[in-house]
Amino acid sequence: MLKRYPTVRYIVTRGGWYFLTFLVAVTLNFFLPRMGKSNPIDIIMAKVGGGLDTKAAQAKEEAYLKEFGLVELDAQKNIRRSADGKPVRTPVWKQFRNYVGMCLRGDLGTSFLNYPKKVVDIIKQAIPWTIALQLPTIIFGWIIGNVLGALAAYRRGIFDGVFFPLALLANAMPFFAFGMLLMYLFAIIWPIFPAVGGYAGNLVPTLSWTFLSSMAYHYILPFFSIFLILAGGQAIGMRSMCIYELGTDYVKYAKWLGVRENKILMYMFRNAMLPQLTGLALSIGQMIGGALITEMIFSYPGLGMALLTAIQGNDYPVIQGCTLLVTVSVLCANFIVDILIGFLDPRVKAGIAGGGK
Amino acid sequence: MKHLSLLKFMVIGALSCGIISCQQKKPGTVTEEGFPREKTLYLAGFQWGDPNTFNPLSDWPAFPVGGKYNLMYEPLVVFNSITGKIEGLLADSPERTDSTISVKMNPMARWSDGKPLTSADVKFTFEIGKRFKGAPTAYVWDFISDITVDTVVDSSASGEMKLEKIVFFINKKERNNPLVVMDILQNIRIVPRHSIEALLAEAGGELAELQKLKFDKDPVVSGPYNLLRYSNEKIVLKRRDDYWGCMALYNNRLPQPVYIIHPIYKSNDHFSIALQQGNLDISATFIPRIWLKAKEGVATWYKKEPFFIPATIPMLQINTTRYPLSDRNVRRAMAYAINYKDIRELAVSGYSPPILSGLILPFGVEADYCNAEDIQKYGVSYDPEKARAIMKEAGYTSVFDADGKLNHVKNAKGEKVPTMSVKSPAGWSDWESMVQIAVKGMRAAGIDVREGFVDASLYWSCMPVGDFDLLMQKPVPEVTPSKPWSRFDAVMSSRNWKPEGEKMNENQGRYNNPSSKDYNPEVDNLLKRIPTLTDNEEKIKAYRQLNIIFMQDMPALPLAYLPEQFYEFSTRNWINFPTEENSYAPPQCLCYGAGTKALWEIKSVAAE
Repeated sequence: MLKRYPTVRYIVTRGGWYFLTFLVAVTLNFFLPRMGKSNPIDIIMAKVGGGLDTKAAQAKEEAYLKEFGLVELDAQKNIRRSADGKPVRTPVWKQFRNYVGMCLRGDLGTSFLNYPKKVVDIIKQAIPWTIALQLPTIIFGWIIGNVLGALAAYRRGIFDGVFFPLALLANAMPFFAFGMLLMYLFAIIWPIFPAVGGYAGNLVPTLSWTFLSSMAYHYILPFFSIFLILAGGQAIGMRSMCIYELGTDYVKYAKWLGVRENKILMYMFRNAMLPQLTGLALSIGQMIGGALITEMIFSYPGLGMALLTAIQGNDYPVIQGCTLLVTVSVLCANFIVDILIGFLDPRVKAGIAGGGK
Repeated sequence: MKHLSLLKFMVIGALSCGIISCQQKKPGTVTEEGFPREKTLYLAGFQWGDPNTFNPLSDWPAFPVGGKYNLMYEPLVVFNSITGKIEGLLADSPERTDSTISVKMNPMARWSDGKPLTSADVKFTFEIGKRFKGAPTAYVWDFISDITVDTVVDSSASGEMKLEKIVFFINKKERNNPLVVMDILQNIRIVPRHSIEALLAEAGGELAELQKLKFDKDPVVSGPYNLLRYSNEKIVLKRRDDYWGCMALYNNRLPQPVYIIHPIYKSNDHFSIALQQGNLDISATFIPRIWLKAKEGVATWYKKEPFFIPATIPMLQINTTRYPLSDRNVRRAMAYAINYKDIRELAVSGYSPPILSGLILPFGVEADYCNAEDIQKYGVSYDPEKARAIMKEAGYTSVFDADGKLNHVKNAKGEKVPTMSVKSPAGWSDWESMVQIAVKGMRAAGIDVREGFVDASLYWSCMPVGDFDLLMQKPVPEVTPSKPWSRFDAVMSSRNWKPEGEKMNENQGRYNNPSSKDYNPEVDNLLKRIPTLTDNEEKIKAYRQLNIIFMQDMPALPLAYLPEQFYEFSTRNWINFPTEENSYAPPQCLCYGAGTKALWEIKSVAAE
C-alpha cells in the first residue's frame, strides 16, 4: 500500500531504522558505564565512610546496596547472602530488565551520588540553561557562518582575503583556550564582564528586570566563546563548498543562459548547504557534551557538569538519563534533517519518487 | 552585530521563563534587587555539585547540614582547633570519669519552632542509630553502651536551677574508647524529635523512606541560620533573629551577616577569582601562591609561611603485603629518598612547615606527645646516600642505564624486583606534584617506583581492598579531640585485619598481619590502651612508643603537613576575620567547630 505513497514510505522506513538505532543506543547506554572496574558504592563509601570502623562501614555499604537495588532480597526484604555471608549482587541482566521497565514507565530513577534527588529533577533544572546557551549559539553560528562563507566564496577579493584567515584562526582555536582567553581579557585584565556564573551572585531567579539583565550580561562571554569558533568553522566549510559549486556545469550553464545572479546564488547555496545541514543536526546532538567546557570555564549552570560528575562517580541512573536525552536529541535532529534533505535535495527526491531507497 | 544581540535578548527572554520555572521556589522576603552586599557573607568551598538534600539524617546532605557545620543543626559541644579545648554549645563541656562521659544541657536551648531542645532530643538522635543500621549515628553504639538522663541542681549567683545531665556510658565490652566518645559528642548534630518522630511515622517507620525527604521547606532547626532557598548555583541561608544562643551565649547579640550565601563554582580557579574580585568573602579551597593575592585584600591565618595551621598529614600508604614493600628496609629507604623540602616548596606552595618523622604533629595540641629525641634517634629525613646504603645492605642492587636513569632493581638472589607504582587520583594537582617529587627522589636513590595516576573513581575502589603498591592518601583529616590517636589507628590498627581483596576501612596497607610470625601485638595494645589513659605522663609514654614503632616500621610515608581546611578571606566587604594576631576564634571558616563564633565578631566594611 505504501508503494503508492513514496514519501510516506521513505519516512516510515527511515523512522524504523532510527528506532532500531535507538534501541541499540539505549542498550549501550546501560552496559557501557557498568563495564569499568569501579562501582558507585565504593565512591559513596569514600564520601561517608571516612573514620568509620571496618564493620560499621560494611553495615553502611549493605544499606546502600539494598537501597539502590544492587543486591538480591529475600521475601522479608532482607539481603540475601551467599554461604560465606556476603550479600548476593543483583545480576546485570536483572538490572537491565528493571531499567527497561522503568524507562517504559517514564521513570529515570534516583541518582546514587545525589541521593535522594530524582534524575528527572537534575535534568529539568539544568537543561534550560544548556539549551539557552547552546541552541542560539549553534543556530546563529551556523547561519552567520554559512552566509559569510558563501559571500566570501562569491565575492572573493579583499573580503575573502581578510575574512578567510580570521575564520581559519577561529576554527583552529580550541573552545576552552578561547573561553579562557575571553575571560582573562574581559573579566580579569579589563573587567567589563563578569567572570563566573549564569547571573549575579546576589540574585535568585525571578522574572524581574534585574535578574534578566544580569542573566543577559553573564551570557555574553560564554556566548561568544562558542559562537565565534562555531561560525568560523561553518564559514570555512561553506566557502569551500561554494567554490566547488561555482565550478560545476550547472552554474556555468546557468551563467551562459544568462540567469540572474541572485537566482544562481540561490541554486548554489541550496546545494552547498546540504552537508552543512547534516553538520547542524550533529552539533545539536553534541550540545550537552559541548556545554561542559563552557560550564567549567565560566561556572555556568547546565547539564554538562552533572553528566561529568555522574560519569566520574559511576552514577548509573544519571548517566543513563543524560545519555538517553542525548540519544533522543541526536536521533530526532538527524531524522528531521533526513526528512528535510528528502525534500531539499533533488537527487534524493528523485530517488524517492522513483521507488529507490 | 546589532540585530544579533537583539535576537539574543529575545531568545534569553523566552528561555529564561523556562529556567525560572524550573528553579526550586522557596518562600522568602528577598527583594528582586538581590541580597544586600553589606549584610551578606559569601562563603564557599564546602558544597561541590548540585545540593541533593538537607535531611539531617542523610549520610551526605548538602551544606550546611551534616558534616561538621553548626549553622542549622548543632552538636552538644564544639572543638576549638587552636586551644584543643572542647567548648560548650547545646551542652556544657564534658566531664569524664572512668566509665562515663557526661554533659549538662543548656536549659535555654530552643528549636526554631519555639519548643525546648532537651535531653529527649539528644537521646532520640543517638537512638536512631540503635534502631536503624543505615543511620548516620549507627556506629556510635560500638562506643556507647547506654545513655541516661539525670536531673542535677545547679546553684549559681542567680539562684538554683534544675539542669538535665546526660550520661554516656562507655561501651567497655566493644571498643572501650572514651576518645572517640569525645569525638562523637562534637560530631553528631542533634535533630528535633517532635518533628522527625512524626515524619518517621508517616514514612512507615522506615529510615530509608525518611531519608528520601529533603527537609528543604522551613525545617525545624536549632542553629543561628536556616535555609532560605537553594538552586544548583547557590545555597542561601538567612539569620534566625530568635536564635536561642544569642541570649544564652552572646549577650543578646546577633550574628553580623543577615544572609550567608554559598555559591557553587565548577572550577577551582573561580574561588580565587571571586575572592580577588570581592565576590567571595571566605573560601576553603586550595589556592596556590596565596601571597600574590594579598594586594587584592586576600589573606589567611598567618601572614607568612606556612599561611595555614597545619593539622593533617598527606602520606603514601604502603601495601606491606606486597613484595618488596613487605621488606621494612625498602620502606625505610623510600622514606630517606624523598625530598621533603621540594614537596613543601614546589607541591604545596609552602603551606607546610618542615616535616619531622613520625605520625605526630610537632605543634599545636599534639606537640606534647612529639619527642625530638626519639625523632633524632629513629626518624628519617631526606638523605639519598643513606637510602642507597640501606638498599645495598639489604641485598638489593639497582641497575642504572648509561644515562643515569634507573633501569631495574635486583634482589640478593639476583631476581628482578617488580616495579612498584603510586596510585593517586588523576587531576588532583597538588597530590600529583607531591607524588611526582616523591617518585623522582626514590628513583634517583635506586628504588623502582613509578607514578600511577588513575581516575578518582578507580582510586576509591582500590583503596579499601588494598589494590595498590603505594597509595596517596590523607587519612582522617578532621581535627577532633581524638588526634593523634585516630591517625595512628587509621594507619596501623590490625583490629579488623583482612587480606588484600577484602575491604578494610582502616590500615588499608594491611600492616601488622595478626596471623603472621612478625606480628607485633604491642601496636594493637597501645592503640587500645591510649584512649583509656587519663594521666598525661602515661599518655606521652604510650604515644612515644607507638611513634617509635611507626618510625622503625614505616607502614606509610608522611609527605607534608597541611591544614584541616584551607581558609582564605577577602577584606573587601567584611573585616575582623580571625587571624594569628586576632585569634579570638579558630580558622574554622565561620561555619564549623568553634569557628562559628566569628560570625558575631566580623564587621561589614560598609557599616564602618
